[in-house]
Amino acid sequence: MKTAKTSKIFANIALMVFCLLYLFPIYLILTNSFKSRSEMYENMVALPSKLSLKYYESALGKMNFAISIKNSLILTLVSIAILVVLCSMTAWMFVRSKNKLSGALFGILVATMLIPFQTIMMPLMQEMNWIGNHMGVKMTDTIPGLVFMYIGFGAGMGVFLYHGFISSIPVSLEEAAIIDGCNTWGVFWKIVFPMLKPTTMTVIILDVIWIWNDYLLPSLTLKAKANRTIPISTAKFFGQYTISWNEAMAALVVTIIPVAIFYLACQKYIIKGVAAGAVKG
Amino acid sequence: MKIRKGWYALFTFPLMFIFFVVVIIPFAIGIGFSFVEWDGLAKHAMSFVGFDNYLRVFTDARFLQSAGRTTVYTLISVVFVNVVGLIFALIVTTKLKTANIARTMLFVPYLIGGLILGYIWKSVFSEFFLSIDWGNWLTDKTKAMIAMIVVTTWQMAGYVMIVYITGIMAIPDDVLEAANVDGASFLRTLFSVKFPLLMPSFTICLFLTLSNCFKVYDVNIALTGAGPNYQSEMFSLNIYNEIFDLSNFGYGQAKAIIFFLIIAVITLIQVSITKKREVAM
Amino acid sequence: MKKKTIAMIIAMTMAFGCITGCGSTAPAAQPTENKAEVSETKTPEAAPEESSDEFGKLVIFQSKTEIMDKLNKCAEDFTDETGIEVEVWETSGDKYFTDLKTDLSTEAGPTLFSLAPGSESVEMADYLEDVSDLSFIDKVSAGMVDEVNGKKVGIPYTLEGFGLVYNADLVDVSTLTSTDALVSFLEKAKADGINGLGFSQEDYFLIMHVLNTPFAIQDDPADYLSKVLAGEVRMIDNDAFKEFGKFMEAVRANCKNPADITYDNNCGDFATGKTAMIHQGNWCYSMFADYDVNFNMGITALPLLGNNKVAVSVPAAWYINTDADAASKNSAKKFLEWLYTSETGKNYLMAEFGFVPVVEGMTSESLDPISASVAEVAAKGDTIPWSMANWPAGISTSLAPIVMQFYVSDMTGEELVNQLNDAFVSANK
Repeated sequence: MKTAKTSKIFANIALMVFCLLYLFPIYLILTNSFKSRSEMYENMVALPSKLSLKYYESALGKMNFAISIKNSLILTLVSIAILVVLCSMTAWMFVRSKNKLSGALFGILVATMLIPFQTIMMPLMQEMNWIGNHMGVKMTDTIPGLVFMYIGFGAGMGVFLYHGFISSIPVSLEEAAIIDGCNTWGVFWKIVFPMLKPTTMTVIILDVIWIWNDYLLPSLTLKAKANRTIPISTAKFFGQYTISWNEAMAALVVTIIPVAIFYLACQKYIIKGVAAGAVKG
Repeated sequence: MKIRKGWYALFTFPLMFIFFVVVIIPFAIGIGFSFVEWDGLAKHAMSFVGFDNYLRVFTDARFLQSAGRTTVYTLISVVFVNVVGLIFALIVTTKLKTANIARTMLFVPYLIGGLILGYIWKSVFSEFFLSIDWGNWLTDKTKAMIAMIVVTTWQMAGYVMIVYITGIMAIPDDVLEAANVDGASFLRTLFSVKFPLLMPSFTICLFLTLSNCFKVYDVNIALTGAGPNYQSEMFSLNIYNEIFDLSNFGYGQAKAIIFFLIIAVITLIQVSITKKREVAM
Repeated sequence: MKKKTIAMIIAMTMAFGCITGCGSTAPAAQPTENKAEVSETKTPEAAPEESSDEFGKLVIFQSKTEIMDKLNKCAEDFTDETGIEVEVWETSGDKYFTDLKTDLSTEAGPTLFSLAPGSESVEMADYLEDVSDLSFIDKVSAGMVDEVNGKKVGIPYTLEGFGLVYNADLVDVSTLTSTDALVSFLEKAKADGINGLGFSQEDYFLIMHVLNTPFAIQDDPADYLSKVLAGEVRMIDNDAFKEFGKFMEAVRANCKNPADITYDNNCGDFATGKTAMIHQGNWCYSMFADYDVNFNMGITALPLLGNNKVAVSVPAAWYINTDADAASKNSAKKFLEWLYTSETGKNYLMAEFGFVPVVEGMTSESLDPISASVAEVAAKGDTIPWSMANWPAGISTSLAPIVMQFYVSDMTGEELVNQLNDAFVSANK
């Protein structure tokens, strides 16, 4: 019993040491966000000589932090809420009605996850500007337009993840609900969707990180100062030849804190959700 | 289960509509561009060249080499990311006290996306390694590849870990208890009980890592550019340089289409293999 | 099956409709928006020549990220003084040209933007408005207004020069009169334990700038470049490139490996006296801000074939988008007039942005030592051109990997020159 206990303590310590080493690059980000250019040149790895928030202040000021974070939050939350709803409904339909159309559409959705974004960005912008000019719906330089695009680009992975999970849950509960008089809408929202919670959490986490950090798509569509998201407003720390390291890292630290908090909050639900799902399954 | 067509349309149409507008149409336009010679500027003439762009790809030694290199890089990275990610998932689902905090720490690299991490790693592999006399890894073609694989694994292991955790948590406790009662060893349980039940997770993770690694761009451009001597240039970077630096829009699109077909074939094979091994619960 | 076919047909027709729709270039960048803007904007009282015209919203997009924050303030001051609304877009420095091309090509371009005069402005020629009616155009220093196809289109930002930026305590530059003298200095510096000449790994600092010199010291650089591109001459048959090859071998033998050094560290080595010279330009002075630099510095020529001239040119210029609507174009011209002739505008150019004067009658008291050096040689006319501005666009990403390889292998200088030559020829295809 005693050996089991010591080996457990040892395992815990080993795991923590490993995790800390694993995060060495993060340590570099943190320390260098406090250093001047000359101090960083002297020694990149050493701890900073003083903990002054100077670079954080200047970075936040230059980024127009309040507006940027508001835009990023709205963009991320709205896109993901819609993605979760639409992707889960679609995936469920595809699994439960196994016809050729479902198969083909699912195949196309998954296949397009393989398209490198760089190759469609130019045609995408042409199409979106065309819609703006000829159909009167402004798609570029608006947050709703960007939400629309994120739904399109997130569809593949969302449906793919839900599809995998739904395939593994038995259909008997749904059939029972139908016999009880539920219509298809009711079956989905009352019975199926709650069971999908673990996958929903996975989809949310992965999409939050993707949309929150994404630079390329917003940089193409959002131009006006009032519409800028966090990744766009930090781009100015990257010059053509030189990076304003301390400000860039300070901005990065501030940017990941909300996602990190969010992830911590969600983590509980993944575990709970899975446990609940497993009992029902 | 019988579902009426109206419900089918209601559940799937919204997402599929957005998806077609945002992804399929631009992709189709992109296919159209692959048959013309054009520099990407709307005011400059396009000339229709038929399949010339496609034929040219097969005589482009730099592209063919980058294709081969990307395939090697992807296969190795996929193995590493998944093995490491799965080990992480198994560790953090144990009853160790530090498991929860470890789970968060191991996921952190994925929270920080994009280029800046690439730049941090770049200074680790060059400056930091030089300072501890390991030499600059990024100027040696083999070590540069290893460096890219290390960074990819570091960044993505946490990502697949999340999916594996979902899978592991979904394994019903009674199955594991039964195995325990039968006196199955740890490894026996792992290979005969857990892994078969994790097959859906394998399908998902292998697909996600395959497609992400094939499309690798950020890590490539931040770590090595293409150097030394294009010996680390991957598919996406090659295409991006062709389209945006050398302004061969049509030719770049043709490369992109070929690239897409290659990934599609490889991932289709992967999905069909792993799908067959999934067991119904 | 039927549904699938129908879906496919719909998708195809939509896609096709869009191809044809996008292919035909409709002019006017953002017509609806601009008209709305105009009515809101109060017409400025002080509008000298164009008083009859309207002023639309001005959208500025430019590549120099280091002046970005000050440009934002400058735009606010302009709005305060004239009532014209200004929007400044932002980007990261290395993505600028890609973004600009995408925006212009998809009819969503800015009104006023920057380009590097040379192959960039030639490539974008169809998008550039003639600006010869600006009042100060004749006062811009000779040859600095960018002309494309006979039209005056680009107003220069500033002057930049690159060459050997030296630490006067560590090197006596009056002795560096030939390649051999430079090579023997590098050897001596190595023996003394300092780095004689520092390069860094970024494309421009690794190869583009240094390769400019052998091109620019040809009798007729433009003619020579076109012959190289056409494959009519080989660089290795030319004395300047032979010396360049020798020089590069000497750098590899005697200096810190440039492939290992970042721009940050190269500047740090110089500022802390570990490197006697760096091959850099006046822009690098801002990198020394955090260090206590207590030595005299200046800029001198890379002495290939006895060259004694620094490469000085206009790094970027302002251009007006010819597709923008008339009201916005008026505002863009008004902005340039204001920037280059009003007191507030000139103060921004000289004091805030730290630019070298390019318009007659403009003076600056706030130049850093390297920029002052550049301004001085430019005034005397002791300069060679930036031939690299006319190299095929995007060639830097083709040249840099070759040079990386050179520094970590035993490739000879001659082989290096030949491989660079091949890259030029293939980029021209």
